[in-house]
Amino acid sequence: MSDPVDHVARTAERGAPAPEAGARPTLAELKERKARSRQRVERGGEVMTVSMGPQHPSMHGVYRAELDLDGELIVTVRPEIGNLHRGVEKLAEARTYHQIIPLTDRLDYISGFAMNHGFCEAVEKLMEAEVPPRGRYIRTIASELCRIANHILWLGVHIMDLGTQTFFCICFRDREYVLDLLEMLTGARLTHSFARIGGVAKDLPDGFDHRCRKVIDFLPRRVAEYERIVKHNRIYYKRAKGVGIFTSEDCYAWRVTGPPLRSAGVARDLRKDEPYAAYDEVEFDVAVEYNADVYDRFLVRMKEIRESCKIIRQCLDNLPDGPFLAPDFAHAMPLKKNVLRNPSAMIQDFVHVFRGPQAPKGEVYRAIEVPKGEMGVYIRSEGGAKPARVRFTTPSFYHGQVVPAMVEGEMIADMVAIFASIDVVLGDCDR
Amino acid sequence: MSDPIAQLIFLIIKAVLVPVIIVMMVAFIIFFERKFAGFFQGRWGPTYLGPWGSFQSFGDIAKLLSKEDLIPVRSDKRVFRLAPYIIFVPAFLVMAVLPFGPVGGEPNLFGYRFDYVIANFDAGLVLFLALGAISVYGVVLAGWSSNSNFSLLGGLRAGAQMISYELAMGFSVVGVMLMAGSMSLVDIVDGQAGNFWDWYFIPQVVGGLIFFVATLAELNRTPFDLAEAEQELVAGYLTEYSGMRWGIFMFAEYVNMVVISGIVSTLYFGGWRAPLEALDFIPGPIWLFIKICAFVFLYMWVRWTIFRYRYNQLMSMGWKVLLPLSIANLVVTAIVVSVT
Amino acid sequence: MKVWSTPPTLEAAAAALERRFGDRVLERLEFRGELTCVVAPADWVELLCFCKDAPELAFDQLECLLGDHLPERVATPFEVVAHLLSHAHGHRLRVKTSLAEGQALETITGLWPSAGFDERETWEMFGVVFAGHPDLRRLLTTDDFEGFPLRKDFPLQGTVGGRIRTDLRGRI
Repeated sequence: MSDPVDHVARTAERGAPAPEAGARPTLAELKERKARSRQRVERGGEVMTVSMGPQHPSMHGVYRAELDLDGELIVTVRPEIGNLHRGVEKLAEARTYHQIIPLTDRLDYISGFAMNHGFCEAVEKLMEAEVPPRGRYIRTIASELCRIANHILWLGVHIMDLGTQTFFCICFRDREYVLDLLEMLTGARLTHSFARIGGVAKDLPDGFDHRCRKVIDFLPRRVAEYERIVKHNRIYYKRAKGVGIFTSEDCYAWRVTGPPLRSAGVARDLRKDEPYAAYDEVEFDVAVEYNADVYDRFLVRMKEIRESCKIIRQCLDNLPDGPFLAPDFAHAMPLKKNVLRNPSAMIQDFVHVFRGPQAPKGEVYRAIEVPKGEMGVYIRSEGGAKPARVRFTTPSFYHGQVVPAMVEGEMIADMVAIFASIDVVLGDCDR
Repeated sequence: MSDPIAQLIFLIIKAVLVPVIIVMMVAFIIFFERKFAGFFQGRWGPTYLGPWGSFQSFGDIAKLLSKEDLIPVRSDKRVFRLAPYIIFVPAFLVMAVLPFGPVGGEPNLFGYRFDYVIANFDAGLVLFLALGAISVYGVVLAGWSSNSNFSLLGGLRAGAQMISYELAMGFSVVGVMLMAGSMSLVDIVDGQAGNFWDWYFIPQVVGGLIFFVATLAELNRTPFDLAEAEQELVAGYLTEYSGMRWGIFMFAEYVNMVVISGIVSTLYFGGWRAPLEALDFIPGPIWLFIKICAFVFLYMWVRWTIFRYRYNQLMSMGWKVLLPLSIANLVVTAIVVSVT
Repeated sequence: MKVWSTPPTLEAAAAALERRFGDRVLERLEFRGELTCVVAPADWVELLCFCKDAPELAFDQLECLLGDHLPERVATPFEVVAHLLSHAHGHRLRVKTSLAEGQALETITGLWPSAGFDERETWEMFGVVFAGHPDLRRLLTTDDFEGFPLRKDFPLQGTVGGRIRTDLRGRI
């Protein structure tokens, strides 16, 4: 497997500045660095088994990793997931497509709308339903707000894992502004259930534009402050630079996507590669770094917050008029205000609530860029209102799997930093 | 009443009063830690119990006393019970040699001399270092006796860290010893007579900084709190302790913090002396109290601001940075003192 | 109206598959711009190997591997579906195979290690055995779970429903 050939050109065309040849490490160099930092692990020595059990204050949810330690060195990791398995895929088989949307909220509960969005994109591909421009722009705004909220939370958790709780509280304070915006928009802070087949549930409320602009004006300055505190902090630098190197080759083999992949130099972002919503109508750069370590993943995510602010501003500036939900009798719900006044809307509402929109026979797979990586939704339909099989391919599932490959041979104190940097949320992982 | 009986009565009074005052201070310091943590983090901290939340510690004590006393079945029960006290007691013992006011001189209380120190011990500084070393036993025994992997790992890490930083601590205080010409804390404070520019923190600035950093490691406080790092090993050597036993550990940590703040202010910042001779009318214990509070605040500030070091970086800093620096400080001090 | 069409690189990939495997690709479907190839279980690993190594295909990432149960197909009710992604070309492919009850499929963890968890989950949910998998045991369900939950004949409310665990009394 080789390094993607158009890598640097693609990075440059995506807006990320291509670094000078000396600054950008090649795949071979990265592999050598990785080999140096991973100590040779001699199996068969006496090991102590420690369980980083499902309850630990490291706030990644109920992820269990059984570590075999030789002193400070991690010899083996046996991850165990499934403590948060709720059987979303089985539940989805008994529900109409509208009824599955609230289930998707709870997948990656930190960025609920992103999951709704992914599912609705897949359903719209299956049913060939169209989303009106305003709906696409509102979806973009909500997705980017979720991305900002997710990355700020990630930063707080990551730094808390490395020592301070102060930073965690500061990050949560800033996340409150974004969650207030989402609450204003969707009605809920975490479980948004905002996307609908054919658009979104509600229009932007009055005052949202003004408030959103205020928030995205000061957020880049906040991010600059975080970067100033963290990036140049000697202790963070020593704990994050060169730690947890995971090259692009490894990322492809283990299906690691999102910021860890982009920190390894691959300029892959589904918002640019397979555009959906309004992403082909806004200009933004893809955050790419080249050293594939924890430090670079931090830089990638900070840059993504700034790019998200840019996207939201462009969406607010260019917001088209028109309906936010497609006036599509067959696939979309009617506007609530028409339901009790308009007979055809009432029939539409009845049909969609009691029977559900019908999908043609076939199967689709659609992936979008959620804050943690790439989420794909596979739907197989036999015709009818309920899907025959739904599979949510969530990024955390694979990131949870990759922990042994990333961590064996490192020291236990690094394990926490590395595990935090790949951003695993158990709702996403276990479904 | 003859002098020895008067001294005995004074001794009893001091030996009772000082621990009681320290315990009261610690109760409020725990509250202030949480309050300051809240302020540093943009939130209020405890506000419920008492005015401004100030009775929080008493609520905590009541809660801890009412908890079930869990002792792991396969632990070494006697050592498990004993370990918290091995940390708790030495901290109080150091207070015995710390002067909180003038010692020696004319009779000042009812015709008898009331020395503001419990035990005017010739080698007070060495006693402090020795008792600090004993508390390492408590940590390691706590971890080992819990019969749990986490605790063992945490206890050993904490023990190794404390021992490493004790060396740097010891070498940096020898500088002070050389300047004062004595190991007695009373003499060290008397050697800083005058105004604040006579205090030892100016000539011993390097030693003072090293001492401060080394005490952070001794106290197992961030950035050196790997042994208790919640995120990494649940709670390290404290994992199996619950209820009031855990309360004793916490208490011991804060008593240590108060005592070490007292030591820092005695060695480098003039102890009970006023910063300006004009302010001498304010009694010594008040000044010591103010300085202890200032250093406790500094320890808290550092805790809530700085990240945690990784274990190997911590150890390498202790051995490769602090120890050579403190030895260099000692050599320079020795040269200067012998020349002048 | 968005038109879902097959990208040209995918057409080239399909042609390469056709040239190499010919009849062994039992079915080729195109739906919403996606290409699906159905193969027999015996050709599963060989086809996927070719997909990964051939330059026109260059599928370097296994996007996901999942199972499916179609009870109406009596002979081969189970299906294993693999989604492939190529970073170099940017196209995707779906490869499916049909299995009978109890028939085992060879593992592809040698090609893409990310299949490890996928195959474990497929085994756990459907009962499809993957021969050669390094660690085929349950992943998401509880330790004492019985049955294969995502099969269509497994009831939604489960098979044990609402019991009070008196067997754990005194133990926890």
